[in-house]
Amino acid sequence: MSQPIQHAQADEAVLIPAAQEGDMAAFEELVARHRDKAYARAFSILRNEDDALDVTQEAWVKIWQRLKQFHGNSSFATWVTRIVINLCLDQLRKQKRLQAESIEQLDEDAGGVERLMPAVILNPTERLERSELRRRIDEALAKLSVEHRTALVLHEFEELEYKEVAKRMGCSIGTVMSRLFYARRKLAALLAGLKREEFT
Amino acid sequence: MKDLPTALKLQAHLDGELAPDEAREVVSLLQRDAEAHALFDELKGTRRVLAANEPEIKLPESREFYWSKIRRELERLEREPQVRPQRVWGIARWLRLALPACAVLVFAVVMLHRPAFAPGPGSPLFAVGDEIETPLEELNSFTFRSESARMTVVWVSDSFVN
Repeated sequence: MSQPIQHAQADEAVLIPAAQEGDMAAFEELVARHRDKAYARAFSILRNEDDALDVTQEAWVKIWQRLKQFHGNSSFATWVTRIVINLCLDQLRKQKRLQAESIEQLDEDAGGVERLMPAVILNPTERLERSELRRRIDEALAKLSVEHRTALVLHEFEELEYKEVAKRMGCSIGTVMSRLFYARRKLAALLAGLKREEFT
Repeated sequence: MKDLPTALKLQAHLDGELAPDEAREVVSLLQRDAEAHALFDELKGTRRVLAANEPEIKLPESREFYWSKIRRELERLEREPQVRPQRVWGIARWLRLALPACAVLVFAVVMLHRPAFAPGPGSPLFAVGDEIETPLEELNSFTFRSESARMTVVWVSDSFVN
């Protein structure tokens, strides 16, 4: 006779099959373990607390409905995050905040003043506490355009290849490359504390 | 700054997205071009800083409150599938009743508008070109087609029985 699951102590290898069989307490435990990561990813793309909460809740509902499709090819965390990202991109498209490729976007993709900026030496870890550095990175990310930030988040934090980023954002690999390039340059400038006047 | 295609190549090299031949070209460029090298270092530094310092963002709601909203939605959806088939079945059942009802109604309208008497040859209703067809007399029906009135009437009568 099988023992009842102690959800709080149980390994994911136990919780996931239990949830797949309809054990909602097991699913609740999985949500509790991954909710911060899912929310953080949604917020990093949407930059809006309410939108990020709505999207992650929608994601958990979809995850429950599709649990049987999870076969462990990636980690559960990766699978969850990918679903969150797809919903975030859908949300941006609905809000018309995400441009696939358009004439209006050309200037933004071309990087504005960042194209003229000389290379900066970026070594902030020597001067800043880690929490302070993270706060500054968060602030800098908020200053990027949706397209630049999304490309950066997908590539740097989710470690997706160019073609995967392009597929998800609905644009060409070349566009991803230029968005990523100017996002990095702008971020470097912001983190180095450079003001626009210094390089224009 | 280097021209954009060169800059993007430097970045692609950093991200491991170049074919071996192109990667060799970039390595060679980095060795002889200080500006390219500086740009490459900046991109590398940004990448390193980001990789090690992703902002820590916490969900701004308690575990219980957050889960209660998800659970409510799941419970709502669990109830919904039981309603959906009934709705589909409801439409099918309605159609099953409505279609014969429509047929009866059409038949009734036709019957109400039929002449009060059985028209026959010589009747004033008939004109040149009108046709009367009684293919099966034992069924007590015949078809009346008036070209002038552009109408066809199927007339059913029990007069043959009486």
